[in-house]
Amino acid sequence: MRQPRRTRAQELLATDDSLLDVVDHVLNKGVVLTGEVILGVAGVDLIYLRLSALLCAVDALERTSSR
Amino acid sequence: MTSLYVYAVLAQRPRKQIAGVGVARERLRVGRYGCLFAVVGAVRAVPTVSPRAVRAHDAVVRRVMVSADAVLPVRFGTVFHGRAALARSLAERESALCEALRLVEAREQMTLRVYGDAADVTPGEREIAGAPAHPVGGAGTRYLARRALANHVPALTRLRPFLGALVVAERAERHGKPPLLASAYHLIPRGASDEYRAALARAEPALAPLRVRVSGPWPAYAFTPGPAA
Repeated sequence: MRQPRRTRAQELLATDDSLLDVVDHVLNKGVVLTGEVILGVAGVDLIYLRLSALLCAVDALERTSSR
Repeated sequence: MTSLYVYAVLAQRPRKQIAGVGVARERLRVGRYGCLFAVVGAVRAVPTVSPRAVRAHDAVVRRVMVSADAVLPVRFGTVFHGRAALARSLAERESALCEALRLVEAREQMTLRVYGDAADVTPGEREIAGAPAHPVGGAGTRYLARRALANHVPALTRLRPFLGALVVAERAERHGKPPLLASAYHLIPRGASDEYRAALARAEPALAPLRVRVSGPWPAYAFTPGPAA
């Protein structure tokens, strides 16, 4: 049976994106304004080192489960 | 003392009030700052990073997108001590923000993760990137060739014929940490994500041995102006 087409709002709000992707977008992207930003530079670097390793791990897991 | 936590910068006031609450379960407000608008929440303390907080931030930006056409997400954790400080910061970047708002209007972002071995970048693709396998010329030419290669994402060359006019703008980052080779961010018309995924599925055979994982639609996180000089 054909799936009903999602509305634009449903596409945006019913997200199943992984936490890793959310972290990458929300912490690593977006407008940088000259306010007080709570993350120190060292903290951000640490998060991204781990993020990169985790994204690699996700790929490995997906390949294992698809075999 | 309360501070203003900023979620998004808009070109126009949203068509309706933003539903729900923010990262500190605070009520959301829209304020006008010169010719720009900002979605803010009054918070007593600066929120700390946690899975719940980053998801809450993203959820607010998504709800804003439902009722506004031109939305620039603001990076997590941006807090101002008072309305005047936020107004000053927005005024300093007004020109760049307005230009970015025009770019993202009525558009949304798709994100691709490109996986494979570093060897999957062929010499031919190096040349397409403007970086021959054995660069010749002076130091400047070699620098430009290295820089072109550093920003080049091999799978994108093979994807473009399939994605065609769907992609309005593209940002790419090479990670160089196999198997994660790169991330690419595509700005597409709002509502075109199903079409984009279908085009990507058709492209998969042409990408082998590289693999791509797609997510989205996202607010246009990767299409915001860079940090102020």
